[in-house]
Amino acid sequence: MANVEVAVRGRISVRRGHFTRDRLTFGYSLLAPAVIYMALMVGVPFFFSLYLSLSNATVGNQVARFVGFQNFGAVFQDPTVRQALRNTVVFTVIAGICKGVLGGMLGFLLTQDVPGRRLIRSLVVLPWTLPVVITALAWKWAFDPQFSTINWAARHLHLMSGWPNWLGEPGLAMAAIIAVNVWRGFPFGAIVLMAGLSAVPVELFDAAKVDGANFLQRWRSVIVPMIAPILFVGLLFDTVFTLSDLSIVYLMTMGGPMNSTEILPTRAFEIGIQAGALGRGAAISLILFPLLLPVVYFLLRTLRRRETL
Amino acid sequence: MSGVGTLPHPPASLSRVRHAEGRQVRKRILVYLGLLPFVIVAMFPVIWMAVTAFKQDADLVNPRTSPFWFGVAPTLHHFAYLFQNTQYGYWVSNTVVIAVCVSLITLAVGIPAGYALARVGLPGAENMGIAIFLGYLIPSILLFIPLSRIIGMLHLIDTKWALVLVYPTFTIPFCTWLLSGFFKTVPREIEEAAQVDGCGRLAAMVRTIIPVSWAGILTTVIFAFTLTMQDFLYALVFVSVGDQKPVPLGVATDLIRGDVYFWGSLMAGALLVGVPVAILYSLFLDQFISGITSAAVK
Repeated sequence: MANVEVAVRGRISVRRGHFTRDRLTFGYSLLAPAVIYMALMVGVPFFFSLYLSLSNATVGNQVARFVGFQNFGAVFQDPTVRQALRNTVVFTVIAGICKGVLGGMLGFLLTQDVPGRRLIRSLVVLPWTLPVVITALAWKWAFDPQFSTINWAARHLHLMSGWPNWLGEPGLAMAAIIAVNVWRGFPFGAIVLMAGLSAVPVELFDAAKVDGANFLQRWRSVIVPMIAPILFVGLLFDTVFTLSDLSIVYLMTMGGPMNSTEILPTRAFEIGIQAGALGRGAAISLILFPLLLPVVYFLLRTLRRRETL
Repeated sequence: MSGVGTLPHPPASLSRVRHAEGRQVRKRILVYLGLLPFVIVAMFPVIWMAVTAFKQDADLVNPRTSPFWFGVAPTLHHFAYLFQNTQYGYWVSNTVVIAVCVSLITLAVGIPAGYALARVGLPGAENMGIAIFLGYLIPSILLFIPLSRIIGMLHLIDTKWALVLVYPTFTIPFCTWLLSGFFKTVPREIEEAAQVDGCGRLAAMVRTIIPVSWAGILTTVIFAFTLTMQDFLYALVFVSVGDQKPVPLGVATDLIRGDVYFWGSLMAGALLVGVPVAILYSLFLDQFISGITSAAVK
């Protein structure tokens, strides 16, 4: 018996050894285009950005000189950049919490089996599926100082008596920007939660039910541990996008009033492209890197463990 | 379960059924009530965009009429303006050309890569998959300044081809993972049967790809299309010539003159492309969710 097994195994491993070489060449040549494309269009620019941030490159000037950490020094001296850094953190954290809570609630409601669920679902995900430029512009007009629809509706519903200039007052402008980001992002949270819930095997639910677990117990011991990793991935994804999103602020307030909604992406654009100081602009956007690094690290660790997207 | 030993009286069981039905109805009402605010909040700007697109200018700025309905008869003026007085036609065709090219590049690169990650079982494949995916996590905001130099060196500044070259950096990682999730759901026997039949590796791969081709390819195209529509930064930085812009950039830059916003035309132009995208997206939402979870479960 044992001999037979050894013999069979031996033959298989010989065959595997034979397969391995052209399997490897085959596999790597299938992967190569994707890896090369990403290396050339993401890897190279990333290192080029590091180089630019250490040089005095400008749009007009073809020859850049190495200046060490001068750009970073200058950038941190700039009070607008410091404010942009603060705003970026506040914006990302508050918006992230709101999206998590609202998206979680919505996702849970959408998994309930009620008639018309599919239609409701496709209506509710509209904010996320419409192009961001379009919705940012629509909201800019909703917050218009003269014709604000929000003020109109709130006044007619007797919720408010004044006529606030949403995008013209520092505190209100920040609140408006966060509201738009949350409005856009909460369906994504719901979608991620639905994906998580649909990955829980039905048998597990039934088993828990048969065992006499009540709703809360089922929720705590079956659902949460199964979906928490997926939700976590969703949150991390969203953080990456929120940290780096320029379009809502750019289209709605341009960072104003008085830099109160200035975030690092808009500042990097103003300095790097509009003012043409490539080196300094690159330095500003690289400030985001240490913020992104832990997020990306956790995301990749979860991906590696679970092979989740 | 406590009533196993005793036979329930018929009326009691009937009332139990009624009771269960009542609970069902109550639960549904609660779910609808919970969903209602979400639906209102999600739909409100969209409805209002649609109304704006068909409103006459005088009606738009009349504080006495409701912003959600028409004070005077609706008009197609804003749509006509788009096609007659702006380069909207170019923007639409640019958007289509960009989306088609980006989809083709993504499929050409993503199908083999997705297959290799799902099926070939390479040592270190996981790390390479993660490396590809890392590209998706390095956001455009870190790359737009160096890329503007690179695009300049390639003489692609102010052409739509700059965007065709750059957009695959976010569609390739996303679609490769999505496709590899799809490929994992194909039974291995199909591939093994192909190899027993004496087909080469390539033919075996094709046989694995075919069953998922429609779902996979369509989903990839939809996402390539919608992801390119979501970009603003790259288009803003690389393209400033009117007839080379994609729709989102054109609408956001050319329909605003100084402080004057052409709201009616803005919303008309936005809806004309936004609504088809949103409909396609929601049709493919199930594919999207199963793509995420099939990669997660297997």
